[in-house]
Amino acid sequence: MTPLVLAVNLGLSFAGLTALCLSLNRHHSEIFDRRAERRAVLRLRAFGWAALAVSLFVAGAWEGWAFGPVQWFGALTGAAVGLVLLLSYRPRYVAPAALTALLVAAVPLAVLAAAS
Amino acid sequence: MKGSFRQSMAWLHMWSGLIVGWVLFAIFVTGTASYYRADISRWMRPELVRVEPTDGAGLAASAERAVTYLKEHAPKARTWFIGLPQPDHPVLDLFWRTRPGEPPGHVTLDPKTGAEAAVRDTKGGDFLYRFHFELHMPPLWGRWVVGICAMIMLVALISGIVIHKRIFADFFTFRRDKAPRRSFLDAHNVTGVLALPFHLMITYTGIITLATLYMPWGVTTAYKGDSQAFFVEANWITTPRKPAGRTAEMAPIGPIVERAVATWSEPLERLTISNHGDANATVVAVFEEPHGLSHEHPQIAFDGVSGEILETRNGGLKPAAKTFTTMTGLHEAHFAGPALRILFFLCGLMGCAMVATGIVLWSLARLPKPGERSFPGLRLVQALNVGSIAGLPAAVAVYFLANRLLPVDLAGREDWEIRAFFGAWILAALVPLARPQRRAWCEGLAAVAVLCLAVVAADILTIPGHPLRASGGDPLFLWFDGSMLVLAALFAVASRKVRRYEAPRRERSARSERAPAPSSVPSPARSPARHTEPTHA
Amino acid sequence: MASHVGTTPLKERAAVAARVVLAAGGGYGIAALATALLSLTLPLPRSEAVAAATLVSFALMAGIVVLVFAMRTLLRATVTLAATALALAGGLWLVMRGIAP
Repeated sequence: MTPLVLAVNLGLSFAGLTALCLSLNRHHSEIFDRRAERRAVLRLRAFGWAALAVSLFVAGAWEGWAFGPVQWFGALTGAAVGLVLLLSYRPRYVAPAALTALLVAAVPLAVLAAAS
Repeated sequence: MKGSFRQSMAWLHMWSGLIVGWVLFAIFVTGTASYYRADISRWMRPELVRVEPTDGAGLAASAERAVTYLKEHAPKARTWFIGLPQPDHPVLDLFWRTRPGEPPGHVTLDPKTGAEAAVRDTKGGDFLYRFHFELHMPPLWGRWVVGICAMIMLVALISGIVIHKRIFADFFTFRRDKAPRRSFLDAHNVTGVLALPFHLMITYTGIITLATLYMPWGVTTAYKGDSQAFFVEANWITTPRKPAGRTAEMAPIGPIVERAVATWSEPLERLTISNHGDANATVVAVFEEPHGLSHEHPQIAFDGVSGEILETRNGGLKPAAKTFTTMTGLHEAHFAGPALRILFFLCGLMGCAMVATGIVLWSLARLPKPGERSFPGLRLVQALNVGSIAGLPAAVAVYFLANRLLPVDLAGREDWEIRAFFGAWILAALVPLARPQRRAWCEGLAAVAVLCLAVVAADILTIPGHPLRASGGDPLFLWFDGSMLVLAALFAVASRKVRRYEAPRRERSARSERAPAPSSVPSPARSPARHTEPTHA
Repeated sequence: MASHVGTTPLKERAAVAARVVLAAGGGYGIAALATALLSLTLPLPRSEAVAAATLVSFALMAGIVVLVFAMRTLLRATVTLAATALALAGGLWLVMRGIAP
């Protein structure tokens, strides 16, 4: 159970943080060679925070509200480290990696939802 | 202070960070390693084999053997501690303390025979663990030094948050291809900010683990200084009993152990026997923590003469006491399974990196400008930076290496391992004084990489049961050697970076970077991985 | 900020040293007094009061250290800390007198 939840947490954190990161002009233009539109910024922010919130909810619901937040923070930090390194060394891979992370999170989430 | 609030906080952050930086780095490195304390201990005692959990009758029989040994060899000791055999530590670990101030006696027995176990003499991961909060000093001194450092760390964290103007805008910013001060500042910010919840948690909870030592005044006023009474009322320990002064024969330990094992489902971890031979002899059975954040071991106290249960402790803490144990539990992270443990370990590494980049930044900020005289302490600070950031990991590697290379039957072997640790560290701190700064970094980091490789080589060569040499070996050795290889690679890369590093070309470099890097500069650190340059604030 | 290291006038250094002493001594002193006072006065069972007071004491101490370095003048910081310490010590004295049989 725990590894599955952790996979969801890591995937959602990575996708969410990437969205938040891309909502910042500096990083947006680093990856897409153009400034972000206002609407896109708002959408990215909304998605980013929502992904982090869902991640927290998943952690809390399946691991309990004592462990959940600890695991959520851990996954958030781990995903953030990965993102910063990727952004610094392979910025082109950031967007595909975030999509992959979202898919990677979806599979165990489906398994968890089916099992409960 | 003169200037704004932010300026005074910047001053506070810089100086508080510097004065404790080196000690803090050592605390962070050994603390991070301590997340794998049990695994390190097991790796350092390769003679031990993992076994199936012992059943109640087996534990009872081995406890009998332990008591027999202690009656013969430590009859005068007031208290005996018996660590019972566990699946990954299948020996009896006996400790006893005869008089305060004297080092405790210790022996490891074979639980099946009661004879001294054929295990190499080593402190294992416990050395790193104790160094983390005692610095290998007399316990009280070491704990106070670490406590003061932790308190200053807390102040440095708070002031660091205050001075970080663009904490959200810079959240993901790591400009590794800028001038060193810029890159190091980014690295310091990123490692600090991304793991900030961890840093705040680990610092505060670290102080809390020894809170009643640092801040005993509540106990002083409310309990007249009787800390035992406080612990009992808070439901943390069973009531201690004073010796009655009348001799009495102790009940056999076997039935007590069997009764304890039958009471709770958690594995029985250890026994504490106090006042043996007295009418008030007490046996406290301590169990492993149940799954949960909080650090609380279930306990049962038995009357040592009648064998009856005196009291049991299992949960039921009131809110503040529970907060206390939860903080201790969070600090120790016993609850973390393998995956979460890796994340904790990663956070610990980020703490190490934050401290290391912080102290390097201090000396980078003081490099003399052309035509300026170097500030007198700079040389010493630079050497100490190398001595701690490369020196301490080198010392840990030498500690592991000594464990494999020292003769197994050497007298005082565990002390020699520790001497090797400190010898290596002192050497690593002295050599940079005599070397040019850049060379010292390069050599120091390379030395760590070589030493980590040497640990792997020594492990494979000296352990006949190593999984690479024999089938069915313990996979722990592969994991350990694998992490050593990763560390070796990291330090090798760092060393290469320092060697290949081009002196900053100041303002010019920032502008010329938009063009492809000049071909005369084959530096991997400046390879044009990104082709736009919009990162200016 | 960094460049004045070698050239700081003695007076300024003394002021900084005084602030460090005040922050460390005052911070610990006030945290200790507050712990002692809260342990006796919090409306909780005795062990809970002690645990709660000890838990928050370190946050209090960190706050005081930051405060000492944030204050405009050394004099003002000293007076603030001394007044706080005095009030806490007075309260503690009253409570202990009241509790003593």
